[in-house]
Amino acid sequence: MSNPMPALGSPMLNRRRFLGDAGIGLGSIALAHLLSRQGLLGATVSGLEPLRPAIEPGRPYAPRKSHFDPKAKNVLMIFCSGACSHLDTFDYKPELIRRHGMPMPGQEKLITFQGEQGALTRSPWEFKPRGKSGKMISELVPHLGALADEMCFIHSMQGKTNTHGPGENYMSTGNTLDGFPSLGAWATYALGSSDQSLPAYVAIPDHRGKPQNSVNNWAPGFLPAAFQGTEFNATRPIRNLSRPGSIASDRDSATRGFLQRLNEQHAARFPGDSELAARIASYELAARMQLTVPEVADLSNEPAHILKLYGADEGGSKILETRAAYARNCILARRLVEKGVRFVQVFNGAYQTGGEGVSNWDGHKDLLGQYSVHGPVLDKPTAALLIDLKQRGLLENTLVVWCTEFGRMPTFQKGSKGRDHNPSGFTTWMAGAGVKKGFSHGSTDEFGYKAVENIVTVHDFHATILHLLGLDHERLTYYHNGLERRLTDVDGQVVKNVLA
Amino acid sequence: MGAAAGNVGVGWKSKDNPAGFPRIFAKLDPVPRLMLTSSSMTTDLRSRIAIWILSVVAVVTSSAAAAIAATPDTSTLPPAATRPVDFTREIRPILERSCLSCHGPEKQKGGFRVDSLPALIRGGETHAPAILPGNSANSAIIHLVAGLIPDSRMPAKGDPLSSAEISTLRAWIDQGAKAPDVAQVEEDPIRSHWAFRPVQAPAVPAVSVPAGAGANRTAAASNPIDAFVASRLMQDRLTPSPEADRVTLIRRLYFVMLGMPPSPEEVAAFVSDRKPLAFERLVDRVLDDPRYGERWARHWLDIVRFAESNGFETNRERLNAWRFRDYVIAAFNSDKPFDRFVREQIAGDALGVDVGTGFLVGGPVDIVGSPDPTLTLQQRADELDDMVSTTGTAFLGLTLGCARCHSHKFDPISHREYYSMVALFSGVRHGERALPLPAGRDAELKRIDSEMAGLERQLARFKEGANQTNGIPGSAAAATTLRPAVDFAINREEFPATEARWIRFTVLATTGSQPCLDELEVWSGNVNVALASRGTRATASGTLPGFAAHALEHINDGKYGNNFSWISSESGGGWVQLELAKPERIERVVWGRDREGAYRDRLPTDYRIEVATRTNEWRLVASSADREPLKTPVAKAKSKVPVYRFEGWSKAEAGEGRAALASLESLRKQRDVLAKSEMVYAGNFGSPGVTHRLHRGDPMSKREPVAPGTLAIFRPLNLSTNASEQERRVALADWIASPDNPLTARVIVNRIWQHQFGSGLVTTPNDFGRNGAKPTHPELLDWLASDLVSHGWSLKRLQRQILISATWRQSSRPRPDALRVDAGSRLLWRFPPRRLEAEGIRDTMLAVSGNLDRTAGGPAFYLHEVDRENVYHYQPKERFGPAESRRMIYAFKVRMEQDGIFGAFDCPDGSLVTPKRSVSTTPLQALNLFNSQFVLDEAEQFASRLRREAGGKVSAQIRRGWVLAYNREPDRREASDAAAFVASQGLPALCRAVLNSSEFVFIP
Repeated sequence: MSNPMPALGSPMLNRRRFLGDAGIGLGSIALAHLLSRQGLLGATVSGLEPLRPAIEPGRPYAPRKSHFDPKAKNVLMIFCSGACSHLDTFDYKPELIRRHGMPMPGQEKLITFQGEQGALTRSPWEFKPRGKSGKMISELVPHLGALADEMCFIHSMQGKTNTHGPGENYMSTGNTLDGFPSLGAWATYALGSSDQSLPAYVAIPDHRGKPQNSVNNWAPGFLPAAFQGTEFNATRPIRNLSRPGSIASDRDSATRGFLQRLNEQHAARFPGDSELAARIASYELAARMQLTVPEVADLSNEPAHILKLYGADEGGSKILETRAAYARNCILARRLVEKGVRFVQVFNGAYQTGGEGVSNWDGHKDLLGQYSVHGPVLDKPTAALLIDLKQRGLLENTLVVWCTEFGRMPTFQKGSKGRDHNPSGFTTWMAGAGVKKGFSHGSTDEFGYKAVENIVTVHDFHATILHLLGLDHERLTYYHNGLERRLTDVDGQVVKNVLA
Repeated sequence: MGAAAGNVGVGWKSKDNPAGFPRIFAKLDPVPRLMLTSSSMTTDLRSRIAIWILSVVAVVTSSAAAAIAATPDTSTLPPAATRPVDFTREIRPILERSCLSCHGPEKQKGGFRVDSLPALIRGGETHAPAILPGNSANSAIIHLVAGLIPDSRMPAKGDPLSSAEISTLRAWIDQGAKAPDVAQVEEDPIRSHWAFRPVQAPAVPAVSVPAGAGANRTAAASNPIDAFVASRLMQDRLTPSPEADRVTLIRRLYFVMLGMPPSPEEVAAFVSDRKPLAFERLVDRVLDDPRYGERWARHWLDIVRFAESNGFETNRERLNAWRFRDYVIAAFNSDKPFDRFVREQIAGDALGVDVGTGFLVGGPVDIVGSPDPTLTLQQRADELDDMVSTTGTAFLGLTLGCARCHSHKFDPISHREYYSMVALFSGVRHGERALPLPAGRDAELKRIDSEMAGLERQLARFKEGANQTNGIPGSAAAATTLRPAVDFAINREEFPATEARWIRFTVLATTGSQPCLDELEVWSGNVNVALASRGTRATASGTLPGFAAHALEHINDGKYGNNFSWISSESGGGWVQLELAKPERIERVVWGRDREGAYRDRLPTDYRIEVATRTNEWRLVASSADREPLKTPVAKAKSKVPVYRFEGWSKAEAGEGRAALASLESLRKQRDVLAKSEMVYAGNFGSPGVTHRLHRGDPMSKREPVAPGTLAIFRPLNLSTNASEQERRVALADWIASPDNPLTARVIVNRIWQHQFGSGLVTTPNDFGRNGAKPTHPELLDWLASDLVSHGWSLKRLQRQILISATWRQSSRPRPDALRVDAGSRLLWRFPPRRLEAEGIRDTMLAVSGNLDRTAGGPAFYLHEVDRENVYHYQPKERFGPAESRRMIYAFKVRMEQDGIFGAFDCPDGSLVTPKRSVSTTPLQALNLFNSQFVLDEAEQFASRLRREAGGKVSAQIRRGWVLAYNREPDRREASDAAAFVASQGLPALCRAVLNSSEFVFIP
């Protein structure tokens, strides 16, 4: 098929770039549009050819080149399920304290997820200046507060749904609907992993159970199943990982050997069919994982001072036991990052028996009571994780990302002592490879209700994480159902201001 | 150069651009290429453009009258300049500065855009056409920029055009509104894109079939499929492969068509069948095998994103959605004509096949309710988008969903047309619906009714109250005056204080549908002891599934109103029971259907309230018997049950009475079963209401109302806004299922081909638009499509034709020469081998181990333990028994959560449509097959089967194992290797290895 009209290869620009230019006058760039065929703009259009990684069938986790020099090699994401309130942790709003008990101006009739709003309500936890930067952080998370100089806050996050399921989908996959690939799946699809005996992407659910939107948070979506997050934590090993108890070790390895002979003889009849070679390779990788995963998950050789740092050795009360379990997941996360696992996702909070707010951050009814549990559970182990990564030099090439599906209201719900969902403004933070330290980007309004300055959408947030991994979010695509799909859909702009 | 103009710069494929991603985005050119000279066009293209220009002129002429009629006073217009005007130098800058930001690629206010000449001339939703070439004085764009149209001066923002600019613009229009360098940019997609052109059967190429085609040359020469394939192979100097051996053929045939291997006996019979047309007869038998429907329904269910849970975080079960799965299986098995199959899925309710519309609501739905109106509108918009998008991809191979926020970037689907399609579905709601009773059921019910009436007459004298007053409160006999009729909002039932631990509210009839109670309060003094917060536990006969707002927990959550109410699963009946934390002295029960007064339906009209201090010692404390009847139609699930008393009658009389009562009871039970409608998750249909275009897809940005309709690509359907709900879907179904629709037949033919060969003739099965891949064999695709339509849309016939082709029967062995030219075997120089899908692997293991339960149809079995909290969680089972030994298509299809073993084999979860599964090979698959208890159990069972069927001799066991698992005898080396292995590790270990082996899971 010859191309009769090469001149029509006129360049397309993405819509955001177009708008940006439109702001300063159209100039010659708009000429391109004038020439463009109707509707060639947008959708997957990046103006650049998509860079689809070439996946070797037998080595889906082989390391692959990034689009440009990466700042971060690995990502460790901490996800607070249930929507952690920015107003009781990291987003200090003096005006909220001053107007405590008064209605929110202009929003008297506001209806949010669960209904009507009561008065503006200050956080029950006091905010204090932390570190050299003097960043105001609440007493709910003092250990994290002490690390303010390491962290890069984004206070102007904005979501687009106020429901947990779609919200977690959105933060984890860039789409509110079910069925899309998670950030970690995209990252490992693009980059593979540097370690070939561990899964490239590990999801560590809270020991109390899975997050509200369950496995969607680490789903492969329409990407090949190879890029699904492998699920395990310090309490629950990978399903079917270990040799079945009923099979003796020597029989197990003899069977593996016999299977390999069967497969090699079969493959010899189909020379050049890479799928068959891939299958043989997958059993080899599985055998290696069978050895390495239990090793990496075995925390018994962690020294006492490390266990103490995380609070992993504590007990005696429900809170301390819960915290210790989360702490062990944090240690596991560090060990995986240490081994070179590309993407690790740690969950804090689960949807479990007991309903809202009891085992996750969904504080509708009794903010003080609920967060008095969740705050301490999160605080010390997460802070220890940062300290530990730093002391091992791992923060140099690991990007730590803390996030949640959306924020909470500055008001209490009418007739209740808790805060309703609020996707209009919330906080996330990053630390480590490639991001500024002791820095805050963007802000919400005076009460912390809506992001107003330097708004960062979830797509922008994802674009930035991919950028730090050396990936152009506009060029990393996968064809599905009629579209070159991207993590960032048709939006997303790297938040340059947070880059170191 | 077949489709020159349809191919302008997009969508072609090449080695380094395998999916045909538009090359137009290949690189960002720093200096935009502005010139497009006619010398770069082919003659073909030039003539197409000429045609196009003629059609534009025709449009302009026909609408000119209207435009002129509305002409305002043009005398004030600046005169047209007299010099020749150059578009690029003079006009384009004006458009860029003043128009483009609102009428360009980013926004198209009023549906108008100036970045392509045809669009500029055509105009928007109003003031169209914008330009009458040669007639600037009457061109709407001039009136607009000159401010002649009140309140519509353009540009709406920024400085108005100067007189000089208007003069220039007028001159350009008067000189013919030409832009020699850009005019060609927009071609007519409807006529130029291959998939939008009418299907016409091309001539079958005359090819001499190369010797390589082997034994079946006669068939090859006579099957047009082979002629098309051979002719394409020849272009690349490739030759087909010889026919595969018979064992391979039957194994391939069974895997592809039935999803599991043949039995050793079936293989032996076929291999030794020396009569002519042995394979053809085998194909016929296979197509008649009921396993065929089970296998092929799975493919269709992927395409229509079928699953049995709601998805999103609540992920509740749809307990009767399986009927749609069974319907699809039956449709394949009965070779339902495909056009009929299409119609039934879109409008089955109009065709007496209600279950078909399970298609419409097969997708995920977010049932989390909120008073926040934005959320509710967004959820509804998402539901409708799922219906429109799935209809588009499944039947038309078009990504309609792309036009939700803006006009489609590649295909002729406008933003407005998308909402016309939405309007076709806007009366469809998620939920279950009662199926009509089967034919003949009425007569049967009448017979039972008359029998029951006879028995009731016999029993009349024993009826409570007939000859005695028993004093039970609530009975008609005890009441002197009747209480007022039941009230929708609130009903207070007072009775002498009594001790109770359990309170049961039984509904015997309602005003219609399943009864609803928004709250059931039980008062002890001034305390409502029923509240869940006091430790009271509620149970019920059944709860309407799928609605968080109507979950059982709402019966005693202290919240009033419809959004916090319980609805029974049973139409006209059901009970709810409260167990108090401790026995209480109660004196009042208060209940209502909707305390907020908004709903006037589902009200219990006939009910009993009983209490107990010990289980099963119920005492009636109140009932509807002493109430006035409600003056609205009452739906009775069961006739009111009178109480009969036999005390005080003679032994013989009482005995007679008791016998009559027993017969009556048994008939009643029989009647209840027969009269009960079966429910299916197939949606509910209500008023479609008014559909609006939503600006940028935002449900809060409603724009003009849109009438129901379809795309302009083919005889567009334009319905009136008054069209009834069903009428809309019937019209759509007819439009899609029309033999003249250029897409429907092509798309299904391609899907069939894809599942028979592993890859379609078009590798983007859900995108036949301009961004999709082009067919490898366009003529073959069209020939098959036209053949399908002209033979009554029979899919079995189509499949048979493919199966008996020499192309399908080729060997799958790789050949280095051919691999070098066509590594993906896309040109079909061999049969491309591939891995079985998740379901195929599981089914095959069960079949080979001898454990497969062939029970077909009915409710699903579960691969998960279900944690039925407010949010449902599904934990993959670790141990399986006989209950889980049916084919995997009968497993409860959960969204989000995968089966713990086979999910890792790229098994989709029905959240999105999956036209083509990815095939990945991962270590988790290996771990699951090698270590899971399921596979170990199957290996044990397989080993016992071998001992049972082959006796104690190891060599015989091995032979039997190979024949069962691989359909072939082991060669000498394999046999001795296996014997040595069994000697040291035992037969189950051998079976474990075989079930894990590549040969076991590959379609040869």
